[in-house]
Order: sequence, then structure tokens, then C-alpha cells
Amino acid sequence: MPKTPGQKDLTLDQILDWLLDALLERQSARQQHLAKPGAEPAKEDIGPAAPSTGARRPTPSIPSRAPTTPQRLHEPRPGEEGWEPPPWQPPIHLERTLVRFLLLMAALVILVNVPITRYGVSLARLMPDSTLLIIRDGLVLKGSGPEIYILEDYRLRWISSLDAFEHLGLVWGDVHVVEDSFLERFEKGRPIHVLLKCPDSPHIYRLENQHKRWIKDMDTFIAEGHVWEDVRMVSCEYLRSIPDGPPIPEDAGTPPQLD
Amino acid sequence: MKDLAVIETILRNRYHFFIEIRDGVGLGAKMRAMLISSITFLALYGAVLGSTHSLWQALSSAVKMPILFLATLVICSPTLYFFNVLFGSNQSLTQNVALILTAITVTAVLLLSFTPIVLFFLLTTSGYQFFKLLNVGICAISGWMGVLFLSQGMSIVSAAGKEGASARRNVVRLWILLYGFVGSQMAWTLRPFIGAPSMKFELFRQLGGNFYANILASLGELLGFFVVR
Repeated sequence: MPKTPGQKDLTLDQILDWLLDALLERQSARQQHLAKPGAEPAKEDIGPAAPSTGARRPTPSIPSRAPTTPQRLHEPRPGEEGWEPPPWQPPIHLERTLVRFLLLMAALVILVNVPITRYGVSLARLMPDSTLLIIRDGLVLKGSGPEIYILEDYRLRWISSLDAFEHLGLVWGDVHVVEDSFLERFEKGRPIHVLLKCPDSPHIYRLENQHKRWIKDMDTFIAEGHVWEDVRMVSCEYLRSIPDGPPIPEDAGTPPQLD
Repeated sequence: MKDLAVIETILRNRYHFFIEIRDGVGLGAKMRAMLISSITFLALYGAVLGSTHSLWQALSSAVKMPILFLATLVICSPTLYFFNVLFGSNQSLTQNVALILTAITVTAVLLLSFTPIVLFFLLTTSGYQFFKLLNVGICAISGWMGVLFLSQGMSIVSAAGKEGASARRNVVRLWILLYGFVGSQMAWTLRPFIGAPSMKFELFRQLGGNFYANILASLGELLGFFVVR
């Protein structure tokens, strides 16, 4: 039942009284109908006869449904006719707060970007990487050991030397230090070696663990899966300064000495 | 600092601000103040976003964030203007642009208000997908508040031309949808703003895919359905 203006919430008692009154009215009307001569009893009549109308309970003081007073359908919305903007709010000098807030945030942004480790890692990028990473080819990873790997076709390829690392155009900032368990998710692929050659010598050497390994001939070179693009030209002096490792293949004999 | 005073007027006395736009009072000064404010706020928010990746990314995002909003404004404002004129509006294009700038300014100041929260999550979590979705959510909330302002402003500014007022209201609603679509595509085109941690800094990433597919993929990864490769 819709509320009339000014009507308060009805209590349970009031509602029950209301329902009872309605029932009594209905039963008395039915009895009057039965009292008429020749009247058929109504088929749906069930239950004992209702008390006479004299037994009717006094009507509780329920506020009657008063006709609604004519009111405005709604307040005019902004932009509608008759609408008035709310009064001008007094200034609170928000711009001062904004300037202070801006300066504080700018200082924080600078602060979190200042490198704080010897590898140039800032506070903003100090969190362990492994949950941040998008797994893709070219991802450079390092576990707790010194080995650095590059991901290719979901295989970890060990970068065998610093020269190889540089030859690939990598810098320390590319290396993501992760948990060893993260590295264990991937299979190992072929290592990445850098091949060194100097202009005055026909020989090609493979750099591994800071030792140069002489590659005996072109057949071995190809059999090892190397391509010419892997060969890096360096000065003969630099090449001479690198200690010799075992040749490739290992039964190839004594490595030739650079002049 | 004087230009930042426009923020208080917009936030606390918005109806008077809209009435002044309707009456064409100081439109140039208002637009200049809103431009400066929104560029500053958006740049700072962008810098926070990019800080997750690198200093270059922070600088790049600080430049790209204002471009994102202003380019969307440039692309979308003629549609709003001409459709409004079609349905009986007597506003000028400048008034339309001023209204859209109001929406952008509100969005920008709300984004600025979120920067401490973004910074907090930047320092304390390491979930890239989570961080991305967090910021998409923040941008969506701020953008929504901005377009609500636009809608209010439009109802006041366009009140002078009563004819076709209901049609113009619908135009604004549809335009808001369009603005959202253009904005999201613009964001996708200008990405990265955060910068995937395993990738090198890029000013722009190659096109491909779309914003919505990426958000769904990020949600999928966050909920553990699959891994974004």
C-alpha cells in the first residue's frame, strides 16, 4: 500500500488490525447476501458464521489515505528552467595543497628512480623479477650462480663468456636475476660462444670460460653449428693475451701459435 | 600556481564554472589553465607508471600520457560538436573543447590522487599483470568520473538551445562510448606506458592485437588460467 504524505511506518499491530477489519467487512457482506430470501449459499463459503456486525471491532486509528496534495513532479535539474546553481563555495586554496602534493610526488618519483645498487638498479625495480617477467625469446636470466643464460625457444642457452655477452649486444641492465627454481623450469639449449679471429691469422678460436679453443678446420666449424656471423674480429694482441684451452676436437693436436 | 586554481573551481563550484563556459566568460584563460593542469598531472602519473621499467620509460610515459588524452580530445571533439549542432545546439567548438578539457582535467586530478597508491603497489608487488590491471582500473574510474562531469556540463551549457535537448543528451551518452573506444585504442597505439619488465625500452611497440584482448589475457594470467607469452 503506498504511503500517504506524512504517514509513518505502520506497526505490525496496525497492519493486522487493518487486515482483520477487511475480513470482518467481507464476512458481514456475505451474511447479508445469505439472509436475502432465495439466495443460494455461496460455494466458496467455508468456516463458521461470522459474528454480527455489532461485534465489529472499533476501527483503529489508521491514518486515512489522504488525497495527495499537488506538488512539483521533481526539482529542476541542472540546466532546466527554474534551476538555480548552488551558492558559490568559499575558497579553500586547493592550489596550494596541489602544488605541495605535486612536489612531493615528483620528489618520490625521482627518489624511486635513483640507482641504489652497484648494478644501477633503482628502488622501483628492486623487487625480485621472476613474477614480473614475460617469457619470451631473448630474455636474459641469471640464477644464484655466475652463469648467464638467454632464452631461445623456451630453452636456456648459456652465454659462455663476457665477450659473447657483449657480442650479443647485452648490458647488465638486461639481466634478470631470478630464483634457481625459475631457471629449472626450462630445458638447457646449446651454449652461446663467441668466436674470435684476428686479421693476421686464418685461425678461428672459440672463447669458453675466458680460454680460447682453436677450431681445427671448417668442417669442425660447421659441425659445431657455428656460422660466420658468430665470428668477432679482434686484435691479434688481444687474442694472444687469452690463454689456450683444449682444441676442438680435443684430439686436434697443439693449437697453432699466433705470430 | 594561479593556473591550478581552476581545479578548485571545477571541483567545488562546477555549476558556476559550466555557466561561465556557457556564457563564454574567459574561455581562453580557462582552457589554458586546464591544459597546464592536466598536462602536469598526467605527466606525473605517467612517470610513476613508467618507473616500474626504467628511467627512459618513466620519461617516455610522462610525455605519452598527456598526448594520449589530448590526442583523444582532438580526434573526438569534432564529432561531439557537429552532432550537437545537428540537434539544435548553439554552442561553439571552443565551448565544446572547453567542456571536454574539463572532463580531462577532472580525470587528470583524480589520476594524480591515485599516484601514491600506484607508487605503493609499484614498490611492494612484483606482478606485472596485476600492476597493469590495477592501472587500467584506476584509469577507468577516473575517466568515468571525468565524463560524468562532461555530461553535467553539457546539460548546463546546452540548456540555451532547448530544441532537441533530449536528442543532445543521447548524443553525449553515445559520444562518451565513442570517446572510451577511441581512448583505449589510442592507449594501445601509444603503448607501452608501464613497459614489460623483460623487454628493452621501446618508445612505441609494434602494432598488433588490441586493448581488450590484452586485458582479458592479463586477467586470465592473474587468475591462473594461462600465461601470457
